[in-house]
Amino acid sequence: MNIEGDLLHTVTADKISDSRKRLGKLMVWGTALLCVGLAVWQTAYQTGRISSGFDTWRPILYAYMAWATALCAAQVIVNGEKGKRTLFVLPATLFVVSLVVFPLLFALYISFTDWNLASPNGPQPNGWDNPIQMWNDSFFWNALKNMVYYVLAVSVEYVIAFGLALLLNAQIRARKFFRVVFLLPLMLSPVAVSWMIGKSMLEVRFGPVSRLIREFGGEPSFYGTPEIARFMIMAMDAWTFIPFMMIMLLAGLQALPREVLEASKVDGASGWQSFKEIIFPLMLPVSVTAVVIRIIFKLKLADVIINVTSGGPGGATDSVTSFIFREYRDRSNVGYGTMLAMVYLVLIVIFVTVLLKLVSRWMERPA
Amino acid sequence: MKVELYNYIKAAQKMNRRQMLKGSAALGAVAMMPKTAMAGGHGNVRAEILKIPGVGAGSPTDSDWQKVGEMCLGATKGNVTEGEFAGVELTFMGLNNQNLHNFLFRGFLKPWEAYTGAKIKWIDLAQADYNARLQQSIATGTVDFDIIEMGAPFEGDVLGKGLASEMPEWVKEQIDMDDYVDYLKAPVGTWGGKTYRVSIDGDCHTFAYRKDYFGEGSVTGRDVPTTWQEINEISKDLVGKEDPLTGLPAHGYLDPLKGWGGFGFYFLENRAAAYAKHPNSPAWLFEVDTMKPMVNNPAWVQAIQDVMDLIEAGAYPTDQINADPGTTAFQQFLAGTGSMLMWWGDVGSSARTSDTSVVGDVVGFGINPASDRVYNAQAGAWEDTRNEAPNMAYIGWGVYVMATVEGDEKKKKAAWSAAAHLGGKDLSLWASAYPSGFQPYRNSHFQFDEWEEAGYDRAYIEDYLGSNADSYNHPNAAIEPRIPGIFQYYSVAEDELAKGYAGQYGSAQETADAIAAAWEKITDQIGRESQIAVYKESLNG
Repeated sequence: MNIEGDLLHTVTADKISDSRKRLGKLMVWGTALLCVGLAVWQTAYQTGRISSGFDTWRPILYAYMAWATALCAAQVIVNGEKGKRTLFVLPATLFVVSLVVFPLLFALYISFTDWNLASPNGPQPNGWDNPIQMWNDSFFWNALKNMVYYVLAVSVEYVIAFGLALLLNAQIRARKFFRVVFLLPLMLSPVAVSWMIGKSMLEVRFGPVSRLIREFGGEPSFYGTPEIARFMIMAMDAWTFIPFMMIMLLAGLQALPREVLEASKVDGASGWQSFKEIIFPLMLPVSVTAVVIRIIFKLKLADVIINVTSGGPGGATDSVTSFIFREYRDRSNVGYGTMLAMVYLVLIVIFVTVLLKLVSRWMERPA
Repeated sequence: MKVELYNYIKAAQKMNRRQMLKGSAALGAVAMMPKTAMAGGHGNVRAEILKIPGVGAGSPTDSDWQKVGEMCLGATKGNVTEGEFAGVELTFMGLNNQNLHNFLFRGFLKPWEAYTGAKIKWIDLAQADYNARLQQSIATGTVDFDIIEMGAPFEGDVLGKGLASEMPEWVKEQIDMDDYVDYLKAPVGTWGGKTYRVSIDGDCHTFAYRKDYFGEGSVTGRDVPTTWQEINEISKDLVGKEDPLTGLPAHGYLDPLKGWGGFGFYFLENRAAAYAKHPNSPAWLFEVDTMKPMVNNPAWVQAIQDVMDLIEAGAYPTDQINADPGTTAFQQFLAGTGSMLMWWGDVGSSARTSDTSVVGDVVGFGINPASDRVYNAQAGAWEDTRNEAPNMAYIGWGVYVMATVEGDEKKKKAAWSAAAHLGGKDLSLWASAYPSGFQPYRNSHFQFDEWEEAGYDRAYIEDYLGSNADSYNHPNAAIEPRIPGIFQYYSVAEDELAKGYAGQYGSAQETADAIAAAWEKITDQIGRESQIAVYKESLNG
């Protein structure tokens, strides 16, 4: 019996023979070798170095699955009871690696190719051409600049959402009714919002909003200039998602300790003072969470833009995602589109990491 | 026939009680006939199928499609024996737009399946998913369908890569290809001198205008314009005037200034065709030997300049910068905004039936307007001669058999038989007369007597379909190159045009140069040499 290691969580102590261990290792290395061997062979075939190979990469996938199965089985064969515990995690890990890490690596490779679906030659590595193209692509930088505006708009949304949350937290008539009503926009799909509001209510000729503006003697134009068009996109997106921030802030407000608020009242604090000195500081953690999540939502903004303006006029409302959508879907430009997506992914990771770091530093309070 | 066209005709029929009674009496008489007499009555299949379900009798249903398919089986029976394809299974990929296309094909092919013994599996796609699905299938080598419904612009992607099966001689005879309108004949549907396409549709843009804007005493006081120069003059003159129908501001020609997934570029092409499509060459988008874009030559720049002039003059409705072709047609022209438009068949047909349409009684049709002068790209100079060039935007749908059937003669014959059945001369007449998603595309579809006999309004058919026929058979029709990635070129052009229209480029020339630069990039990416070869093929067949 093995008396070393973790005995507390071991139900049975296995006596595993050397031959069994060898078998397990052989299974793993044998299938790994098969998988790698087939992959090398197929690569050589695809690159024209050898004349025979498979029509598709499917056999390599089967070899990978055989290796994964052998790896799982070998855990038990080699380690016995301890291996069974590994089995609780290993299949899930392999699954994640297969469906996330492999595609990510593949995407990284694709992003350095000139793959256009219409090209007869398939993906061909093109070095730094895609990053250079991106560097010189005014559409991309314009979209990125628009993202800054869109993200900054979150601050205004936050103020409105906080105001609404305070209102709905107050003792007002029909409070529950208003809570439901204010949540309704969040229940709508942004695609529905863009059609119902962006393309119907705001339709310049017969949309009801346009008619109303004409009634007052104005001439409606919602997407005619870059600034107004961008504002309209921000407004539609805000209308959909302010309720999300509002409901988070409302939950925070309701969780505030009553004693502190009452104590401030007893001490004679005015409404503004208690908000500034007590409610707002206590709400900071919730506020930061709501804002950060909202920013993450905002970085994905595309549906409203694609439906209402297609990025126009002249790219003024383009988000990075809507631009990538056009590049990738309309132009089948897989290589360059993937490069843009990868760069955007890296930018988002850096931005969100820095944001969270700043937030945590700002939030640090003396013990 | 497009659904809207059918609805329009129904609404425009003004069927009176006498006609109704005549129809009912005929129906009663047929019902009383013995079966043998009914069989004898099928001698004139064309007249018979046009009675299913009957003009004004509501939209056809699956049972109608099956009946039509059954009655048009004659040609198939001449080439295929009963049960010949037993055990064969074919996969058909097509669209499910408006519950038409594949839905009709299912009904048409059901009797064919029963007769031949073959079975068909269906892949239904939404229009928006179609291009991506097709391109991915091609790029990843996963062509999992034997028959495809496909537009001619994709022929470069499919035929150019040898993915389709060549049409056998017996199919050509069965479908009577000589009957096609001129522009659908070779090189369309052919590649390397071989024929691949069974046409089931034709496409072109025609000119729609408001009759109440033109003529003596009208708001313009002028005749209907026939050139783009006149159109621009009239559009500018209309600034500040009042629409005779709605009382709102009057507008002239409606250019869509926003992209539409590549399809918006067809609308600049309408203007440019008259300037750039010289009768001495079929090439008007790229130079034949180099694939150098022609989109920044003086002809195209003039077309862009025309649009910019109208923007400058304030001739468009408010927010036109955010109007795509769908908006110009359905939210503007049909709703009473603007007086001139280029579009596919839908606009004319929706005029009286669409809920938002107010212009039904005042719509007239014509072919793509001409230009007073034409640019001769070969000579590099303008010529002061009048030039007409109808734009065959999208070239229509066809049915193609994929190379997946090669090596299995039985399967190959089955696939081609199915395709020939769908593109049959008689069946296509029915499809052009009832809602199907397809327009008339054979010379025999323009025998107005047949339509009149079936109960259609002669004046309407002559005006509307006449403009189509004139465009199809025009000797200088502008036909797009069937090269790989053509919609990529259109899509990027839309983006650059949008920037130009929004004033981000200094001039029309700069805008055109930006498009040309983007096109060069796409050509290099796809492969210049292969594009040149494919382009030449697409022009010569």
